[in-house]
Amino acid sequence: MEPILYIENLSKTYGQAPSQTRALERITFQVMPGEFLGIMGSSGSGKSTLLNCIAAITKPTGGSIVMEGKKLQSLSSKALAAYRGQTVGYLFQNFELLDNLTGRENILLPASLHSLVEKESLLRLQQLAYYLEITDVLDRFPPQMSGGQRQRVAAARAMILRPRLLLADEPTGALDSKNAKNIMEKLSGLNQDEQATILMVTHDSNAASFCKRILFIQDGVMFHELRRGDEKRQDFYQRILKVMAQLGGGSCHVL
Amino acid sequence: MFSDLILRNSNRSRRENGLFFGSLLISIVAFYMILSLSRQDVMVFLAQMESDAVNRLLTMIPVFCGITLSILFFLIYFACQYQLERRKKEFGVYLMMGMHKSRLFTMLLAEHLLTGILALLLGLPVAVLLAELISLVTARLVGMQIIGHQFTFSLPAIGFTIAGFLAIKLGAFWILSSKISRQEIDTLLAHSSGYEKKQKPAWFYGICTASGVMMLAAAYAMSLQRRIWYETGMLLLLFLLGLSGTMLLFYGIRAVITLPVKAEKAKRKFSVFTLRQIQENVRQQSASMAISSLLITAALCCFGAGIGIAASNRPGGDHVPDYTFTYDCAENPHDVFPRLQTVLRENDLDSQFSQLFAMRIGYVRTTDNSHSVLQMDSVLESLRSLGQSADRDILLHNLRSEDYPHLICLSDYNNLLQAAGKPVLTLAEMEAAVYQDCDFTNISRTALLNKSLSTRPQVILDGNPVTLTEEIQSADLVTDRAITLSFALILPDEQFLHYTGGNYEVYINGIIRRETGSGNSLMTTISELNTRLDGIGLQDMGIKYESYLQNMGRQLFYMVAGSYITIYLAIIFLVVANTVMGVQFLMNQQKTGRRYQTLVCLGATYQNLCASARRQINWFMGLPVFVASVSSFFGVKVLFTAWLSSRVQGTREEMLWISAAMIVVLCVVEYIYMTAIKRSSDRYLLTWMQPQREE
Repeated sequence: MEPILYIENLSKTYGQAPSQTRALERITFQVMPGEFLGIMGSSGSGKSTLLNCIAAITKPTGGSIVMEGKKLQSLSSKALAAYRGQTVGYLFQNFELLDNLTGRENILLPASLHSLVEKESLLRLQQLAYYLEITDVLDRFPPQMSGGQRQRVAAARAMILRPRLLLADEPTGALDSKNAKNIMEKLSGLNQDEQATILMVTHDSNAASFCKRILFIQDGVMFHELRRGDEKRQDFYQRILKVMAQLGGGSCHVL
Repeated sequence: MFSDLILRNSNRSRRENGLFFGSLLISIVAFYMILSLSRQDVMVFLAQMESDAVNRLLTMIPVFCGITLSILFFLIYFACQYQLERRKKEFGVYLMMGMHKSRLFTMLLAEHLLTGILALLLGLPVAVLLAELISLVTARLVGMQIIGHQFTFSLPAIGFTIAGFLAIKLGAFWILSSKISRQEIDTLLAHSSGYEKKQKPAWFYGICTASGVMMLAAAYAMSLQRRIWYETGMLLLLFLLGLSGTMLLFYGIRAVITLPVKAEKAKRKFSVFTLRQIQENVRQQSASMAISSLLITAALCCFGAGIGIAASNRPGGDHVPDYTFTYDCAENPHDVFPRLQTVLRENDLDSQFSQLFAMRIGYVRTTDNSHSVLQMDSVLESLRSLGQSADRDILLHNLRSEDYPHLICLSDYNNLLQAAGKPVLTLAEMEAAVYQDCDFTNISRTALLNKSLSTRPQVILDGNPVTLTEEIQSADLVTDRAITLSFALILPDEQFLHYTGGNYEVYINGIIRRETGSGNSLMTTISELNTRLDGIGLQDMGIKYESYLQNMGRQLFYMVAGSYITIYLAIIFLVVANTVMGVQFLMNQQKTGRRYQTLVCLGATYQNLCASARRQINWFMGLPVFVASVSSFFGVKVLFTAWLSSRVQGTREEMLWISAAMIVVLCVVEYIYMTAIKRSSDRYLLTWMQPQREE
């Protein structure tokens, strides 16, 4: 099976010499279709920069990002706009729903942006609303919804165009534990039922335990990789915690 | 460190917010313009001729200053609000770092003072230069070859401009900063989405819109009534209906804008987002949209009326006599002309005039009656036989009341015609020509009467038959354009002397010798001659005179008083309304800026965002302009009915066309303003695109 996303020697440097900051350094990994991949790391490790590079929001300094055989750097700005909306879907930490649009209008926004057939988008909206349990809030404005409902509406918006890859940036960051578990179950369900490929950045070990594979980044460098296999989520969670403990205060970093 | 921060912030504000700084400059220029009005060439000139009227106008200047100040306060308030809103987060950070509120207040005050002083330093020279330019242009436009233009620099105007400007700026700052100081730090730091929850049901807004439209329709219908201006109650009702109708319309229109969204007609890219943005703008800014619309209405009305008044009062270039003398002390009218000639000769002033001739005007004195002296049944009959028209009816009505006409001496009138280079009249013994000043008629009425006169109708003058011949005469009899005759008969000299019984008024017209003042303009020559005439004490001898200069001065006064002030107010209203709308839109765009970032992440291109924002601007600014354009058309009509004297009512339709043309021109100005706002919006949206542009 061909990987959906292939990242090779990806580097990103901010600023000019001598005060340069290396956010990413020669990162290489692949994402297979239907995979639920997590990227973990402490603050400033470079995980959000990595996600932004994949989402074509930030231009990498070196290396390549190949999505379904197409090199991202070679795309025109028009093709990049289409890529951002159609090829990848983006789930924000703070939902980023438009306050003056109803839930329905928010979800259908990418469809209208990328001229999807109306009948098709309405059918997809129904499916997603039912699955994500947001049917009742479709005609409400975001400020009239709870945090969990907002994130599920945001998830529906990210999935409305059936993107090849769903990029989730700390999706549980602004939620309480109950709503966080709920959204993770829904994302996990989408991954299993619809074979949706998900790449999630998080520092929440609980949320990460829903993934099938986790990449750990430290100071812009790939540090470790965990695979879940047939393991129970609880056991996987314990293993994540161990790696995180090492990341946060491993003996190698004691001065 | 603190002063560095103030300096840096002040510089940054000016750089980032040109619109705000521009509005400050406009305020200063506008304020100086009205305050320096008394120093304008036209006003200085008028003050010599019509000092009472000019002084009365100048006493009204404080009222105009008051209006200007309150309007400019509105402008500065919104511009300041925009600037402070942008920096709310920054203020939160200062307070988080432990800055005391009083210190923050001092810092902001210092920043505002600095910006204000810079605006004054830049604005005042611009204002002085602009005032000079307008002074020169106005003088040239009204046809005055001004007697030596002098650069005027009005110190009191500058003093009051500085005081007034600082007062409104600091007043606005005080109100806004106290609003900010009441907010908690978390509110200052929080990202404001601009969403407000309190909303009334849609039907409520629907009713408001319908009521607003009905009120405006009622106001429009009332404005079409001719006598509206004469009934204070009705006028007040008209004003209230227009005001509340506009406010209600803009308050409720949010419900109407939702309809295309609900009807799912918005299939185009981004339509739902754009419509929701428009709806939000209208919802949050309905009051300022309504006020802006009313200001634009006022501006358009002022412009239309000002141009109309200017056009109707423009001094005619076609004048014949430069001077008209009258002598009140003569016992016999025969003595008037020789007396004046003697006085002028004795004072060596006769050489100044190329021509001096009497203009004898009197009434029929052969009878004691002052009614039914003239019977024009045949004229009326021939007019009646012409096709029915409004002009014919007016003419019939007017002529019926002309039964005691003025009489003009033929030889005097011929002298006038000769001086004007026109062919003279030849009348037989029992013939007369009709004189009618053009202020009392119009082209079509003159044509109708000429048609009737071409049949040489016979009328009865004090029982004697007189044949009316020739076309209607309308040359100005004396210099003073305010002295006009609605109807008179020009009679041969013998007949004139017979009917007047030697009892008539004598006006002596003088035409200045042009070469006398070679190298000087006519105005300069007249002005110099006036000084000499005043020097010989003509008044003491009982001789009064009116020069073309005084006559023009009077005309100019009406024109300047009517048009200068209205056009000035129009510009202020227009600038304020547009700046307020522009600032409000850009402020709201910044408040909701993150939405554009989200759209970029969802795959929107820069072109998509700009197209959406441009459509929002079209609606946000176009709605008030559209309502204002419709309202102003009716408003101008009401103003014309009120202001234009009956003698120019005939040309009202023509003036309405002038005003309509002005409204179209101003709509173009609005379009240009909208384009400027769109460019500003495009530049702002580009800041959200920066990461993409790197690629």
